[in-house]
Amino acid sequence: MTEARAQPLPEPAEGDEGLDEAQLYLARVMAEIDEEVLRRRASGDLPPRIEHELDELFLRFSPMAGRNGSIEEALAVVESTSFVDPVVPVRSSKSGGAVVKKAIRKASIWYVGWVTAQISQFASATSRTLRAIDDRLEALQSDFDSQRVPAAPVIETAWGHRPGAWWVGRVEEALRDAKGRVLHAAAGDGWLVRLLAQGGLDAYGVEPRVGRIDRAEVEGLDLREEPLVAHLRAVAPDALGGLVLSGVLDAMTAPERDAAIDLASRVVADGGRLVVHSLSAVGWAAEDAPVEADLASGSPLRPRSWVALLEAAGFRSEIVEGPGARDYLVIAVSDGGGEEAATRR
Amino acid sequence: MKVVFVTPRYDPSAIGGAESAARLLAEHLAAQPGFEVEAYSTCAVDHLTWKNELPPGRTEMHGVAVHRFAVAHERDEDFFHCDARLRRSPRHVTFGQSRRWLELNGPDSPGLLEALGDTDADVVVLSPYLFSVTVDGIRVSSAPTVLHCAAHDEPPLYFPAIGEAFVAADALCYYTAAERRLVQRVHRVAEKPQIVLGIGVGEPEEGGRPGGEHLGIGERPYLTFVARIDTHKGADALDRFFRLYKKRRPGPLALALVGPVSTTIDPHPDIVTTGPVEEGAKWDILRDALAFVHPGALESFSLVIMEAWQEGVPVVVNALCEPTREHCAHSAGGLWFGSYRQFEAIVDRLTADAELRRWLGANGRAYVREHYQWPALIERYARFLESVVERGRPASR
Repeated sequence: MTEARAQPLPEPAEGDEGLDEAQLYLARVMAEIDEEVLRRRASGDLPPRIEHELDELFLRFSPMAGRNGSIEEALAVVESTSFVDPVVPVRSSKSGGAVVKKAIRKASIWYVGWVTAQISQFASATSRTLRAIDDRLEALQSDFDSQRVPAAPVIETAWGHRPGAWWVGRVEEALRDAKGRVLHAAAGDGWLVRLLAQGGLDAYGVEPRVGRIDRAEVEGLDLREEPLVAHLRAVAPDALGGLVLSGVLDAMTAPERDAAIDLASRVVADGGRLVVHSLSAVGWAAEDAPVEADLASGSPLRPRSWVALLEAAGFRSEIVEGPGARDYLVIAVSDGGGEEAATRR
Repeated sequence: MKVVFVTPRYDPSAIGGAESAARLLAEHLAAQPGFEVEAYSTCAVDHLTWKNELPPGRTEMHGVAVHRFAVAHERDEDFFHCDARLRRSPRHVTFGQSRRWLELNGPDSPGLLEALGDTDADVVVLSPYLFSVTVDGIRVSSAPTVLHCAAHDEPPLYFPAIGEAFVAADALCYYTAAERRLVQRVHRVAEKPQIVLGIGVGEPEEGGRPGGEHLGIGERPYLTFVARIDTHKGADALDRFFRLYKKRRPGPLALALVGPVSTTIDPHPDIVTTGPVEEGAKWDILRDALAFVHPGALESFSLVIMEAWQEGVPVVVNALCEPTREHCAHSAGGLWFGSYRQFEAIVDRLTADAELRRWLGANGRAYVREHYQWPALIERYARFLESVVERGRPASR
């Protein structure tokens, strides 16, 4: 395998420098190892019984998700236990024990073999059926993946997403009496979280883009590198006093946006504020809008659409237009019953 | 600021990753100006028995005032029956059943809980998540609490009585992003103030002798695993894998299992079990290893992987262990195996390719230097604790 190295090793990474290249090379090494494993398995150089036994031992203390979550890993457990060995071990710590056990084994092998063969056949049929179902699911997944809409990009402009932007003061005002933590997404480098925290709010942020939060984390801001929807799913009901969404909703498809709003209505406490900053059609089509706006699957809603959408989710909203009609702010107050509203929708 | 650390055991002789990590954090924090650090723990050293082995009362360890409280009773045999029963279907365990499990798991230390209720600390740090002093400590503490989860994807994480601790803690500290993802998959606690911290690695304290000399194998190349050598850590699987490997690949390669042994390792000419060793010997053994193998599937961080990388040694980990595999994938400092076949192919590759070994080790070392150095890490942690204290303990808890 050493001789098969297609490319020379890259320079070792130094901090972040050269890390991408190193990670790619490592992925290639792992792929080569997997290929080698397939080749050796096909050669049949190891009795399947031994391989199954060792794999079962390996999985005995596997994580819960490994045992109950991933189909592939669950199947591996089924397959590793589907062979019942009729040849009983005869080792014994007692003198003469091994001889006695061996005699019993010899005398009963026809019977044990008959029973275990049937059990193994049943287990093997079950395992094959499960594998066929898994193959079918994988094919469906593959079809689904080819049509999958990519995760919505964050759409930000240089003029609209910075500390001096016109809407930032309105957000601070709207959240002044927030009871509970305030979440901002997409938090970027934490520019709004920092401002809100300086204003005395208990603010934190999530940012789906990789590598944006590193510096702010060092500074001590509570920022997480996570997609918005995944984060909201893990937030307790009514836990937030305020939720500010800027740059994350505009490019979303309708189902993605609905999911985000449903979750927002669940996590924002009664009387809490949901603030949405959105580009308008003018801002979205402007020359200085980012390229991602052209490539995105979704596009911004009109202000009155937000009012209708949020009303259905249990919020009372007001719209504040920005200068030049390039963007606008939706300030919504939760009137409680977010979970019920989500169910109604 | 006064910080109290709460762990079931607080002693260098108590082998436990989360407790050792908490002890290291406490000691480094105690060295920071403006911090007064105490530790509340039990008199037990062995988590299987909870036998009172250390004297109760106050003692001083590396700048930390340690208060030890007696355990009311040793572990009840019923625990093992209860544990076996509940582990079968952890997602369907009731609150009452999991509460019973927690009481049987212990350690039951009424004195410790009483002291926590009366503490004058500004903040209380508790770890790990699955013991009654942690869960009940969070409930009774008069000061804001930080739970250092040290969570693994294991049945008790899904028990409702344990979930209560995650919800009731005022803030959370994780060792890795993978651990945070795991906890957030199981419990709705994402809005809580939190930090992904890890553990710092100090400078190697080598003993100045060749690793092979400590092991009695001269200049033979060897793989090593340094930890508690037990079934839960994957030692049995590693032992079996290596025996088969040597049957199929005779040669000089040896395996050194370094640490207290609590499983049966049958004698084998290529397997060395050392039992516990001095720090200097440990670093020597790590430094001269061909690779460090961690077969455990239930790790939340693994300090010893960082120590191996600190020495520029490549690492091989269990593919099912998300935190350690993530360390390897992010750093490009190690490989991972999910079956005997993969283990064999990886060991073949590493033994034959010195250049790859050096490259992996160098990447690992750079990763440790970038992320897990004490001064920067402890400064971040101190800032985090200050923010928790500032936020206080909400009345609605």
